[in-house]
Amino acid sequence: MTGLIYSFILLPVINSILVFLIPNRRKELFRPLTVYLSLIPLGLCLYMFVNQNLKTSFLEVDSIPWITAYGIDLIVGFSGMSFLLITLNCLLVLLSILSVNQEYAESKGFLGSIMLLQASVNGVFLAGDLVSLFIFFEALLIPMYFLMGIWGGSNRRYATIKFILYTVFGSIFILAGTIYTGVLSYISSGKFALDFESIASMSITTSQSEILFLLFTFGFLVKVPLFPLHTWLPDAHVEAPTAGSILLAGVLLKVGAYGILRVSIPFFTEGFLRYQFIIAFLSVVGIIYGAIVAIVQIDIKKLIAYSSISHMGFVMLGISAGRYLSLEGAVIQMINHGITSGALFMLVGFIYDRRHTRRISDFGGLRKSMPIYASIFLFTSFASIGLPGLNGFVGEFMILMGSYPTFKVLTSVAAFGVVLAAIYMLWAYQRMFNGQLDNDENAVLTDLNSKELVAVGPLLVLMLFIGIYPSFIESYVVQDVSAIYESISNLIGVSQ
Amino acid sequence: MSEISAAIGFNLIVISPTIALVGTALVLLFFTITIESNETVKKSITLIGILITSFCVFLKFGLFFQNGISSYFTQKILLDEFSLFGNVLISLILLFNFLPIWDSSKQLKEKTTEAIILTLMSASGFMLMVDSENLIMLFIGLEIGSISLYALAGLNRGDKLSNEASLKYFLLGSLASCILIYGVSLVFVSFSVFSVYNFALGIAYVGPDSVPLTTSIGVLLIFIGLLFKIAAAPFQSWAPDVYQGSPTGYVGFMSSIAKVSSFIVIARLCLVSINIIIEDFNIFFLIVIISSALIGSLFASIQEDLKRLLAYSGVVQSGFILSGIVSGINGTSASMFYLFTYILQLIGIFIIFSIINGKLSSEFNIQSIQGLFINNRFLAASFCIFMFGLAGIPLTSGFVSKFILLTNLWAYEKYLLVSILLLSTVAGFYFYLRPIWIATIEKTETPIETLKLKKSEYFVITTLATLTIFFGLVPSSLINISRWIVQSYL
Repeated sequence: MTGLIYSFILLPVINSILVFLIPNRRKELFRPLTVYLSLIPLGLCLYMFVNQNLKTSFLEVDSIPWITAYGIDLIVGFSGMSFLLITLNCLLVLLSILSVNQEYAESKGFLGSIMLLQASVNGVFLAGDLVSLFIFFEALLIPMYFLMGIWGGSNRRYATIKFILYTVFGSIFILAGTIYTGVLSYISSGKFALDFESIASMSITTSQSEILFLLFTFGFLVKVPLFPLHTWLPDAHVEAPTAGSILLAGVLLKVGAYGILRVSIPFFTEGFLRYQFIIAFLSVVGIIYGAIVAIVQIDIKKLIAYSSISHMGFVMLGISAGRYLSLEGAVIQMINHGITSGALFMLVGFIYDRRHTRRISDFGGLRKSMPIYASIFLFTSFASIGLPGLNGFVGEFMILMGSYPTFKVLTSVAAFGVVLAAIYMLWAYQRMFNGQLDNDENAVLTDLNSKELVAVGPLLVLMLFIGIYPSFIESYVVQDVSAIYESISNLIGVSQ
Repeated sequence: MSEISAAIGFNLIVISPTIALVGTALVLLFFTITIESNETVKKSITLIGILITSFCVFLKFGLFFQNGISSYFTQKILLDEFSLFGNVLISLILLFNFLPIWDSSKQLKEKTTEAIILTLMSASGFMLMVDSENLIMLFIGLEIGSISLYALAGLNRGDKLSNEASLKYFLLGSLASCILIYGVSLVFVSFSVFSVYNFALGIAYVGPDSVPLTTSIGVLLIFIGLLFKIAAAPFQSWAPDVYQGSPTGYVGFMSSIAKVSSFIVIARLCLVSINIIIEDFNIFFLIVIISSALIGSLFASIQEDLKRLLAYSGVVQSGFILSGIVSGINGTSASMFYLFTYILQLIGIFIIFSIINGKLSSEFNIQSIQGLFINNRFLAASFCIFMFGLAGIPLTSGFVSKFILLTNLWAYEKYLLVSILLLSTVAGFYFYLRPIWIATIEKTETPIETLKLKKSEYFVITTLATLTIFFGLVPSSLINISRWIVQSYL
C-alpha cells in the first residue's frame, strides 16, 4: 500500500527520466513509449479503485522524517476525493499526450515536462502535511514554466512570467500560513508538527484561525482563480500549448480548490465562517463576469478560459456556502469541469493544428466539412453548459440547491450564469459550425482521425457516464465531504 | 619554555590552517624566483597545500573535542564552533574554486604564481579572521584577506573595468576598514578590552542600561565595517562594480570568502559580545535588512549584466542571512545553514559563468547566455539548478534554508521582516527566472560554438549541483550541524 502511494509520485518522475534517456535519433519512439509509460499510473489508479477501499476521508499512510531537529515529517496519505483527482490527472496526462500533434510528440522535453507536472500534481493530492503540500504546490511551477515558455504562443514570455509571479505571490501567503501554523503547533506541543492530524487537534483562538484562514485561502484562491485574482488565467491559457491548457484547466485549477477543502475549511473553520460571504460574493461576481466576458471573446480558446473562471466560480460558491449538498456539488463540479474543459481545450487544439488560427470569425460552416468534430464539440458544449443527462448539470445543480439556503440572493444571481453559459457556448458553436462554408480553407479540412478520436473518446464516455450515474463519483467523495461538513456543523452547533 | 608556552596558550594546531596556506604561498614564491618549474609542479603544490589546509582543519576538530571552547595566544585566537565552521567553509571554498582560480591564473602567463599566492594569502587572512578572539586580530585578518582581494580584482590590467573595480574596491574597502578600526578603538576606550569574551564581561559588569555611548557607537562602527564586506545595503555600492569588473574566474572566490568570514564574525559578535544589548541595535539592523531586501530586489530586476545581477542578488541574500543572525540563537543556526547552502550555489554559478564568459573577462551581458541549452545541456541544467536554489524553489536547498530561517523569524515574532523577505522572494522569482528564460528558452539566430568542459569541471559542477538538490531533499544532517554550531549558547 505504501509503495503504491509513493509510486504515483515516483513513477511519472521515472517515466520522464526514461523518456529523456531515449536517443534523439529515435524520435518516432517518443510518443508511443510515453503513452505506454503513462498507462502504468492510470492502471495503478484503476487497481486501487478495484482492490482498495477508497471510500474514506483522509488517511495517513506513511511518514518520512525530514527535519528531525524541528520535528517536521513529510507525510503521504489519500482519500476518496484525492484519488478521484489523481485518476483525473493521470487520465488527462495520457490523453493530452495522445492528442498533441507531431511537432510536440517529437520533443522529449515536452513529454518529460508533462510527466514531471503529473508527478507534482499527484504529490499535492497525496500530501498529508502542509510542508509537502507546499513543496509540490510550488514544484509544479517548474515544469509549467518550461511547458509554457518553450512551447507556448507568441506572447508566451509575458504570460509565463505573469502566471509564475501570480502563483508565487499567492504561495508566499501559504508559506506564511504554514510557518505560522508550525509556530503555533510548537507552542502547544513542542514540535513543529505540520501533519493534518496534529493541526486538526491543535487548539487555536478565533483570531488566529481567522488570520490563518485568510493566509491559506488567499494563496489557494489565486490558483483557483477567484475574481479579481483571475487575470493570469486567460493569458496563460491562450499562450500555453494545447496539452498545457488541458492540464492547466483540468487539474491545476483544482489544486487551489482542493487546498481550500483540505486545509482552509477543516482546520480554520472559524475563519471560514467569518469570511464565507466575501468568498461567495466574489464567486458570484466571477460567475457572471466570466460568462459575460466569454460572450464577447473572438478567440475560442480565450472564450473557454473565461468559461473556466465562471465554472470555477460555481465551485467556490458551493464551497463557501458550507452546506453538505453544496460541498458535495463543488467536489463533483471540480471533477466534471476537469473532464469537460479538458475536452474543450483538446478540441480547440485539434482545429488549431489544422487551421493555425483560433479566431471564431475565421470559421463557419465547419459542420459540413467536419461532421464528427462538430458533433463532438456540440456534445462537449452541452456538457459544459450543464444540460441534464450530462455531467455538467449534476455539479451545478447540487451547488445551486445546496447554496440557496445560505445565500439566497447570491445563488439566485449565480443561476443566471447557467443561462449565460448557454449563450456563449451555443453562439460560439453557431458561428463556428453552422452557416455557410464561405472560407475555402475550411472546406478542405479533414475530420478527426482515429488517434484524435481515441484521445477525446474516454472523456465523452465519462461525461455521459457521470451525467446518468453521478452516485458513482458521489460515493467516493461522501466521506471527505462529511468530514469537512462535520467541522463546520460542529462549530455552528456550538455557537447557536 | 613549556610553562611559558602553556601560560600564553601557545598551540600551533589552532593556527595550522593559516600556517599551511601561508607556507604554500611561500613555497610557490620560492619556486618562482629560484627554480625553473613547470605548471604541473605549481599546480600540484597548490592543490597539496589546500589539501593540507583541509587536513589541518580536521586536526583542529580533534583539539576542539579535547579542549572544548578555548582561547590561545593570550586570548588572541579562539577555538569554538564558529571558527571550526568558518575553517571548514573556507577550505571548501578553496577546494571548489581551485579550478577556476587555477585556469584564470594560467591565462595570466607570467603572473600565474602571483595570482595563486594572492588567493592563498587572502584565504589565510580570512582563516585568521574567523579564528580571532581579539578585535585587533580580527582587523589584521580582515586586512590580510581584503588587500589580496583588492589586488585580485585588478589582476587583468589590460581591462579598464578591472582597474576600476580594483580601485573602487580598494578605496571603499579601506574606508570600511577605517570605520571598523575606529569602532574597535572606541570599544577599547570604554572597556580597555579587545577580547570578544572580555567585552561581554565588561558589558555585563556595567549592566545593559548603563553601557557608555562610546561602546554603542563603537559596536555600530564595527558592524558597519563588517556589513560593508558582506555587501548589505546601504553599504552595497561597491559590489556590482567589483563583481562586474573583476576577472570572472575569481569572483566566486572573492564574494564567497569575504561573506563567509564576515558573517561568522558578525554571528560571534552578536551571540557572544553584545547579546545582552543587541536590542539597542534592532532599529539599525532592521533598516539594513529591509533596505537590503528592497534595494537588492529592485536593482537585480533591471540589471543587464549577469555578474551585476548576482551582486544585487547577493545583497538580498545578505539581508536574509543577517536577519537570522541578529534575531537570536536559533535564528543564527538557521542563518549558518543558509550561509552554507548559499555559498555552494554561489560558487557553482560563478564556475559556470567563468566557463561561459572566459576566465579573465569582465563584462557579462545577460544575452550572452542565449542558447546555452542548445550549446551545452549539462551546463544549462546545472545553471537552472543553482538559479532555482537561489530563488528558493522547493526541492533545492534554497527552499529549506528560506523555510527554516523564516520559521525562526516568525517564532521571534518579527512579522515585518518576514513579510518583507517573503516579498523579496517573489521579486527573486522574477530576476532569477529571467536568466533561465534566456539560457534555456530563447532561441539564438547566430550559431554558437560548443563549450567544451574538462572532466574536473564536470566533477566540481556535478558535486555542487548534487549538494544543492541533496540538502533540499534531506536537509536534516546539515541542520543538525548548524544547530551544533550554536549549541553552547543555548
